[in-house]
Amino acid sequence: MNGSEIAAGQGSTVRTQTILLVEDEFVIRLMLGDALRDAGYHVLEAGDGAEGLAVLLSGQPIDLMVTDVRMPGDIDGIELSRRSKASDASRPVIVCSGHLLPEEADPADAFVSKPYLAQQLIDIIERLIGKPCPDQSQTRTA
Amino acid sequence: MSRPIADAHCLIVADGDVLIRNALAEYLRHCGYKVIEAASSDEVMTALDLGSAKVDAILADASLPGRFNAFELRLQVKKRLPTVEIVLTGNVDSAAKAAGELCDEGPHLKRPYEAEKVVAHIKRLLAASRRQDRPEN
Repeated sequence: MNGSEIAAGQGSTVRTQTILLVEDEFVIRLMLGDALRDAGYHVLEAGDGAEGLAVLLSGQPIDLMVTDVRMPGDIDGIELSRRSKASDASRPVIVCSGHLLPEEADPADAFVSKPYLAQQLIDIIERLIGKPCPDQSQTRTA
Repeated sequence: MSRPIADAHCLIVADGDVLIRNALAEYLRHCGYKVIEAASSDEVMTALDLGSAKVDAILADASLPGRFNAFELRLQVKKRLPTVEIVLTGNVDSAAKAAGELCDEGPHLKRPYEAEKVVAHIKRLLAASRRQDRPEN
């Protein structure tokens, strides 16, 4: 259950796709999080592999994960990708790295070489999970 | 809260626990705020240095990790940006209560849902994450 679903209460059938964004570089995470939200996706941000794993294990519906590779701590982006595939093999994973070769990004579904533009990432996300669905669960008034 | 911040539009949610940080940020976004999520006091300072948005208030966990503890962070921010309000919280309940107050003072006139639901939501997430992370016997 995410915040949209709390707002909707029971009976919501359509929700915006949720992206888990795992990136330890704060400025990149901030910029990408904003870009993905502006594009219309629901975004959960995590600052390293351990945080990403905590979100994966929390039971929240996650439609796609975007992860950096080199991050502080015991869990890098490749290990996190394996853990994501172990919990849901159908959930797409995009690995972003300035150091890795594409063939080293297994088990990712897509590889993005740093530096890249946010729009390049959004194009890949749209190919993997489609354009953002309008969230029909909003109850607040603007 | 020490002053009304009805004209505020950007908040920083600073908490070392990703599940708490995500849930509070999500709630405040539903209330109409732009929210920057910071995992440490270093990230809070970076966000302020960036100046990409005028930050009106910071909701920070009292045990926030980083170069400055939460109390030192408050002093640093007050020195540089005296108009930025900093709300220190000690646990999930007080954080959600403070978020609810910010929501009441925020850009929208109506709460998307009660802050108590945020507490229940966070507790469910924390329990699920810990249960899944426990090694099997």
